[in-house]
Amino acid sequence: MITVVSGLPRSGTSLTMRMLAAGGLTPLTDGLRLANEDNPRGYYEWEPIKQLPANPALIAQAEGKVVKVISSLLLSLPLNYEYRVVFLRRPISQVVASQAAMILRETGSPPKLGAAAMQSALEAHLHGVVSWLRARPSIAVHWVDYAALVGRPLDHARAIAAFLGGGLDVNAMAGQADASLHRNR
Amino acid sequence: MADRLAKRVLLIGWDAADWKVITPLLDAGKMPALEFFINHGVMGNLATLRPILSPMLWNSIATGKYPDKHGIWGFTEPDPHSGGVRLVTSTSRKVKAIWNILTQKGFKTHQVGWFASHPAEPIHGISVSDHFQVATGPVNEPWPMAAGTVHPESLAETFAKLRMHPGEVTADMLLPFIPRLNEIDLEKDKRPNIAAKNLAETAGIHNAATWILENQEWDFLAAYYIGIDHFSHGFANFHPPKLEGVPDEMFELYREVLEGAYRFHDLLLARLLELAGPETTFILMSDHGFHSDHLRPRAIPKEPAGPAIQHRPTGVFAMMGPGIRQDQRIYGARLLDITPTILTLFGLPVGEDMDGKVLLQVFEEPPAVEKISSWEEVPGPCGMHPEDMRVDAETSKAVLDQFIALGYVEAPDENKQKAVAVSLREQKYNLGRVYLYSRRAVQAIPLLKEIAEGNPEEKRYAVHLALSYSQCGRHKEARAVLESLTSAREDQRALADWLRGEFHFAEDNPEAALEALGRAEQLDPLLPDLHIRIGQTHFRKRRIAEAERAFLKALAADPDSPLAHMWMARVSLQQKRNREAAEEALTAVGLEHDLPIGHFCLGIALARLRHFQRAIQAFETALSLAPRFELAHRWLLRLHSLPGGDRKRARQHAAWLAEFGRDDRKAAKARTS
Repeated sequence: MITVVSGLPRSGTSLTMRMLAAGGLTPLTDGLRLANEDNPRGYYEWEPIKQLPANPALIAQAEGKVVKVISSLLLSLPLNYEYRVVFLRRPISQVVASQAAMILRETGSPPKLGAAAMQSALEAHLHGVVSWLRARPSIAVHWVDYAALVGRPLDHARAIAAFLGGGLDVNAMAGQADASLHRNR
Repeated sequence: MADRLAKRVLLIGWDAADWKVITPLLDAGKMPALEFFINHGVMGNLATLRPILSPMLWNSIATGKYPDKHGIWGFTEPDPHSGGVRLVTSTSRKVKAIWNILTQKGFKTHQVGWFASHPAEPIHGISVSDHFQVATGPVNEPWPMAAGTVHPESLAETFAKLRMHPGEVTADMLLPFIPRLNEIDLEKDKRPNIAAKNLAETAGIHNAATWILENQEWDFLAAYYIGIDHFSHGFANFHPPKLEGVPDEMFELYREVLEGAYRFHDLLLARLLELAGPETTFILMSDHGFHSDHLRPRAIPKEPAGPAIQHRPTGVFAMMGPGIRQDQRIYGARLLDITPTILTLFGLPVGEDMDGKVLLQVFEEPPAVEKISSWEEVPGPCGMHPEDMRVDAETSKAVLDQFIALGYVEAPDENKQKAVAVSLREQKYNLGRVYLYSRRAVQAIPLLKEIAEGNPEEKRYAVHLALSYSQCGRHKEARAVLESLTSAREDQRALADWLRGEFHFAEDNPEAALEALGRAEQLDPLLPDLHIRIGQTHFRKRRIAEAERAFLKALAADPDSPLAHMWMARVSLQQKRNREAAEEALTAVGLEHDLPIGHFCLGIALARLRHFQRAIQAFETALSLAPRFELAHRWLLRLHSLPGGDRKRARQHAAWLAEFGRDDRKAAKARTS
């Protein structure tokens, strides 16, 4: 069984990874992407996952662990493994604003595409990913609203833990949620 | 709802099948299943669309619409997941295919292997995508079936077993294609491997189609076989007669491959006929033909989709079943007509937004055709992917670029980025050519201008831009574009001279036109339609004998040239050889229906032969293609005014002519002011 945390970039996937790690799951990360202003508590990423489209077999390394797979890479998951997906939802306008702020900080320039155009492009992309997931009943998905997760972390930690079969430290998970990080609205 | 005319319909697609190869095989008794088919049904040419690129064509076949409407504009599209390019997908098609419309109406509908059918759509039946039959590795390695290859997914394992890996093709299986296989050093010559791959993929598609026929209820099955196209690209140059430049040894080794491919497909056809049974209505067709004679190109252009130069614009069409005429040849079929005809077979209305028409001439009793404004407006599940999955290429690329900028997705390497840029550019080029060749050059100009100016090294963009300007009568701009072609490749320079000839012709300067056309002839004597232009120039100057000589040269180069036959009809009319004119015109419109002047010539010849009703029909067909064809209106006015004619129709044509006169005066006034 492979646990996957997914969603659009800047939708709360790093927070969820941190919660699951605190709850007792083993995260598949390499620590190459360091914490910064955009993610002060770290990204919990695994660099090789970017190679998933070219080399789907590498997902085998996530067996028994939790791994972050960003929405656009989700469709490259080979279907000969069992997955549980925790998928983060956040209003697209907030995602666009957060992504724009991050690009500006990292590159010194705003994104190439304007906010309205990017919002519509991301909506289309997200709907495509959601449709793909819904068409695959063999993949269990737990949908999490980012604002609700930050607002009521214990409730959501319990729900996520239940989805993953229990046995996680829900208080430790809830303790990772920090409303102060819920910004760039 | 109109009456349902067919209990079941089996649509069989043979990519690139060509009567020029088939006819001698039929005559020699080597394609008995097809012989049976055409003896018990109708057969004819099928006019293709330009550009002659299979993904665009097969989606026009399945939708009844030009590619600008259906959204498949080439072989590849950017892949938002890999950052590179991928084969065009079903999510790029913007409109309903025939299997979506039939799904919507509750028919049990299946499709196998259609171009751009991946991921498989959730239709009311089985959909097997065009990724199904393609092996991804050596025979001893696992061959997993990619997600989305088969709908419903519960049948994926069943279908996986129906595939055939090229490594399973034995020497014995190849011998009918390559009898001297054992003389070939397979380390040095990989052509037998190509044959094995084509054979295996064709077998896989056939296995899937026959499994459905044997195990499922069905009202409609579309099965697409790409094999003949692939065999033709690999081996048509070895097909007799021997092509100049092909080594004797190679010719002898591979001369039987193409014939073998057609005979193999005939065996498969026999099985389909047997399984589907006599109550089924069968349609067998190709999207285009394939040059197999002296018109085979001497070289393949080094450009995307360059091998398409080998495609011939005339495909095959045959239809058989209850209520279909038997042992008849039909004329005027286009690939856009397939979907409207199938809808009529199922008693369903044809979309007014479809560009094809119902092939009424195939029916023993032509049915009444019902219309609907558009099937796109009919709500409800139709087995297409959800609209939000059908994201256009530019949007996908924008998302990918953003994710790369954010560091979440690997930036594609330089090659991939270049491939994406080329893919998007080629889509614009192809779309521009769709507009150009469907007489909408005004829409082609902005697309072609953008890519021609951005890529001056790609002379083909400039050539098509010049053609577009020329079609719009903007000769000055066309000439300016042509000036940039002086350093172009030889074939493009020939095309440029050909175009210059056309401009001189348009400016009524026949001597300069003939000089430019003569230069083009020297550079490329096989340039399509060159002799037609030369003949046309003579014809305008009333040098009818010279014109006829040029048109005969054009026919010698290509006996199936609709334009050459059309001009021979005009020459014959000029010389009052009316019967000959009628025959030539009929041949022309049979080869290419969209020739208003061909129908017009036919009308004149028939009127002179006193076949008035048939003449009226021909003039009306000309008007359906070119509604403001003034001379056709004049002839119809004249014919309807004859004793016993339809006075009401005569008055209608008189009114139209008066309206055209008013419009012309208004336009002249506007030009003056």
